Amino acid sequence: MILEHMRSATRSLWGNKLRTFLSMIGIVIGVGSVVAITALGESARASITSQIAQAGLETVTVNVGRRPGAAVERLFTEELVDKFTEFEGIKAAAAVNRSNAQLKAGEESASEQITSATPAYLDIFSLEMREGRFVTEADMLERSAVVVLGSELADTLFPDGGAVGSSVRVLGSSPKQLRVVGVLETRSDTFGFSFDSGAFVPRTSYLVRIAKPDRPDSFVLWADPDARDVVETAAELQAWFDAETGSENAVRVQSPSTIAETMSGVTDTLSGFLAGIAAISLVVGGIGIMNIMLVSVTERTREIGIRKALGATPAAIRVQFLVEAIYITLAGGLAGLALGMGISKVASGFLGWDFILSPSSMAVAVAFSAATGIFFGLYPAARAARLDPVVALSYE
Amino acid sequence: MSGPRNRPVPSDAAGASSPAARAGAPDLAPPAGGLVVAARGIHRVYEVGEEKVHALRGVDLDIRRGEYLAIIGPSGSGKSTLMHIIGCLDSPTEGTVAIDGVQVADMDETRLARIRNERIGFVFQAFNLLARESILENVALPLQYAGVNRRERIERAQAELESVGLGDRLGHRPSQLSGGQRQRAAIARALVTRPAILLADEPTGALDTKTGDAVLALFEEIHGRGTTIIVVTHDPDVAARCRRTVRIRDGLVEEVA
Ligand SMILES: Nc1ncnc2c1ncn2[C@@H]1O[C@H](COP(=O)(O)OP(=O)(O)O)[C@@H](O)[C@H]1O
Ligand SMILES: [Mg+2]
Repeated sequence: MILEHMRSATRSLWGNKLRTFLSMIGIVIGVGSVVAITALGESARASITSQIAQAGLETVTVNVGRRPGAAVERLFTEELVDKFTEFEGIKAAAAVNRSNAQLKAGEESASEQITSATPAYLDIFSLEMREGRFVTEADMLERSAVVVLGSELADTLFPDGGAVGSSVRVLGSSPKQLRVVGVLETRSDTFGFSFDSGAFVPRTSYLVRIAKPDRPDSFVLWADPDARDVVETAAELQAWFDAETGSENAVRVQSPSTIAETMSGVTDTLSGFLAGIAAISLVVGGIGIMNIMLVSVTERTREIGIRKALGATPAAIRVQFLVEAIYITLAGGLAGLALGMGISKVASGFLGWDFILSPSSMAVAVAFSAATGIFFGLYPAARAARLDPVVALSYE
Repeated sequence: MSGPRNRPVPSDAAGASSPAARAGAPDLAPPAGGLVVAARGIHRVYEVGEEKVHALRGVDLDIRRGEYLAIIGPSGSGKSTLMHIIGCLDSPTEGTVAIDGVQVADMDETRLARIRNERIGFVFQAFNLLARESILENVALPLQYAGVNRRERIERAQAELESVGLGDRLGHRPSQLSGGQRQRAAIARALVTRPAILLADEPTGALDTKTGDAVLALFEEIHGRGTTIIVVTHDPDVAARCRRTVRIRDGLVEEVA
């Protein structure tokens, strides 16, 4: 029976191609935007998740906040590192300073950041070596004039290879010569900081050769998720700093999870807003369908009369028109699915996200369009079913 | 379905030649007197605004199985109104109707639709074929509403069209046929469910005399196979070819000798 209705719906919609197409457009746009939004939302989330995974789920950073004040100047000392390691749920800590520098090796040069590093730094960011070694305890004790290069920087300064064992000059008022002892494995950006283009110098050596900062810029901590939830550790640290500094804005403790929460909060708000717009366009599309179905019922009043004379029950007439409405919206929904996938593919390409074709967004498209068809087709179908056979038969 | 399904197995050739049409119908005795229509005290009042139009004012009409009856009367006398009530398309304001032994007065639309589907075949002045469908699909349509599977529908529709001489026009749209051919297709559609009654409202009204005569000849053939036929007409020549004639006057019927 449904098959029969589909056959008759095809014939009636095909007989009115332009009208069918026009009445479908609203649904196409509505479903298209729903699909694009859900797909982009998932791409955004996946992109954030992968950045977090890159950053290491076990890394907590302690930065100077928006209004540091005197308390921070007093608190932010090298001794804080020992305090951190005593803290429950923290395995290692390192004070960090960075400064911009002009690096030169032979004819090649690059302007990049030099970061102070301790042996713990490697574990904190789960860095891996492509060649050579990282900063060691011996380097720390001897304040060795050595440097570890990010992969990209190594390739820039030593395009022919052979970085390890070679020398790099740090230009400035008193140029320094550093021996390259290692090159890091390539690693994609994590929240704006690139390990690949960095240069890492033992902290003790950094403080005598590269810069003489008043205090550490920040601290990086290696949290132990087995001992304690990382978010909880970060929250407790934040509370400790807030108490010590007497201000909520002096020090900022961040874990990848807190960053992720902030970012997904933003994308959730955005996709909620866009989903609202999409829902409105679906409703508008649905009203278009309802309108076209009402026109169709009126036009085909006589046909309905004939069908009733031949024995069509009200239920049969209702199903016939409902199938037709669902047919239009489903066809529109599939077209919208294609459109939405196209949009999200192009947009993810622009934003540098992975394009994710999720079954859930496809299911959403099909479900939404069928539901729109049922909801907005119900009234016209009921009207057709209620027609008086004699009146319908004498309709001109 | 309420009431007994008093659908007798007809002794005529048509019934015997198509046992499938009767499959499932119990082998019961015909209703008392073999009445295929028993209308009692039928009133039909149309309300047009404040005004009331009494189209029928107490019609009593008995039609026996196998009759070939003409209902005549001038335009506006209530012929179509009576036909719609007999055909279960409309319900009387007052009175009772039994079709093929089944009381239909209190039935809802769904049950009336079933009665129309199973027991009544309509032929209209304007043919009323679905323009978008082929005549084969048109003729198969009542069987769809009867729940017959597609293969059997097509087979039976094809056989019915062959029997009215349209076996070589199955895939044609109504617009590709002449008026006479369209009316023959409509007759095939009316007969495909093997109804107890064939109801025709001015069946020759839209046809020229020659094709009209051909349609009436077909009716005679169908009647010859045992089907009860009721023709509504204002044309005395059409009425003259029927076996019995009733005239509607002032909302009442009277026999014409
Ligand atoms: N739907 C209707 N509403 C109001 N009056 C109607 C309606 N149908 C028929 N009538 C009136 O009922 C009377 C009988 O109509 P009808 O049965 O169509 O006559 P006939 O078929 O004999 O020409 C006429 O006076 C007509 O105007
Ligand atoms: Mg009439």
